[in-house]
Amino acid sequence: MGDDLNERIAKAQAELDAQARPSKKAAEGPGMSLGFRMAADFVAAVIVGAVLGFGIDTLVHTSPWGLVVCLILGFITGVWNIVRAANAASAAAQKDKGKDTGA
Amino acid sequence: MMAHIATDPMHQFKIVRLFDLNIGGVDVSFTNSSLFMVIGVLGIIVFFAWALSRPKTVPDRKQSLAEIWYGFVAGIVRDVNHEDGKPFVPLVFTIFSFIFVANVLGMFSVPGANTFTSTSHIVVTGTMAVFTFLLVVAIGIWKNGFKFLKVFVPSGVPWYILWFVVIIEVFSFLSRPLSLGMRLFANMLGGHVALKVFAGFIPQLVIGLGLVGVGMAAFLVMPLVIGVTALELLVAFLQAYVFAILTCVYLNDSLHPGH
Repeated sequence: MGDDLNERIAKAQAELDAQARPSKKAAEGPGMSLGFRMAADFVAAVIVGAVLGFGIDTLVHTSPWGLVVCLILGFITGVWNIVRAANAASAAAQKDKGKDTGA
Repeated sequence: MMAHIATDPMHQFKIVRLFDLNIGGVDVSFTNSSLFMVIGVLGIIVFFAWALSRPKTVPDRKQSLAEIWYGFVAGIVRDVNHEDGKPFVPLVFTIFSFIFVANVLGMFSVPGANTFTSTSHIVVTGTMAVFTFLLVVAIGIWKNGFKFLKVFVPSGVPWYILWFVVIIEVFSFLSRPLSLGMRLFANMLGGHVALKVFAGFIPQLVIGLGLVGVGMAAFLVMPLVIGVTALELLVAFLQAYVFAILTCVYLNDSLHPGH
């Protein structure tokens, strides 16, 4: 029964696609949402580093080294998050551009 | 004193108990925040029940709105998760609709009674973010078992820096619920504070400068307030959209770890 439904959905979708909607939005969505994501991802990573480091310090009494190390790691993670998101976005943009000129 | 209360930008976020409720020693009093969450949820249910009560082949306005709403969310899930995402459409639809309606409800203001933005409190957004995070982990372990840990090990990295990348990935994974909850909460809080601060210039100008102040308020501040209100409506939508799309992205990671 599930296959039947999938078949019917696929058929209906194919009919819809055949009508050729021209402007399909990319999965990334508006650039502003990407900006919100990057900003929060960076800050969140730093905070997680701080909390994790502070937690380790209180548990194992290594103050301040857990906080120092984890804060740096959190900062690196934050930067890495942004770089990765930016790379993915520009790769998607390149692909879209190529598709437009290729077709 | 009145003017002071009227321009206090944090006053709007005050939690007020509507009636006290205590179940098993836990304080679960019904607050204004709960009230607007209930209004939002009931509003969504009533709207969709009404809009889809007599579905037609050629949809009328209300049915069309409901179909566009659903199609938009289903489109997000299809774009990110493809075929595997179909079981998660109801979940993502619920998350998106709840956040969107809660955000937009907070934008309304009727004389005598202001609405409350439930999503401007981190206890609400944080709960949703932690729920999403735990769900992603549970689904990842259920579908992939031990292989779920591959989400921390990216492919194509030489072994001598792999250990470091794994540490970074663990940090990145742990920062997800915080990032999800904090972004929504901070944007709603910040946006409403900015709106209130700009609007607060108006009574201050009028009280301080008299007629000149009225002119400045009308021609300088009011356009700004209208602009910020429009921006806030955009942000209300975008934050719901970001939460929904990130839920999809995280679900995709747990369905296919090791990408």
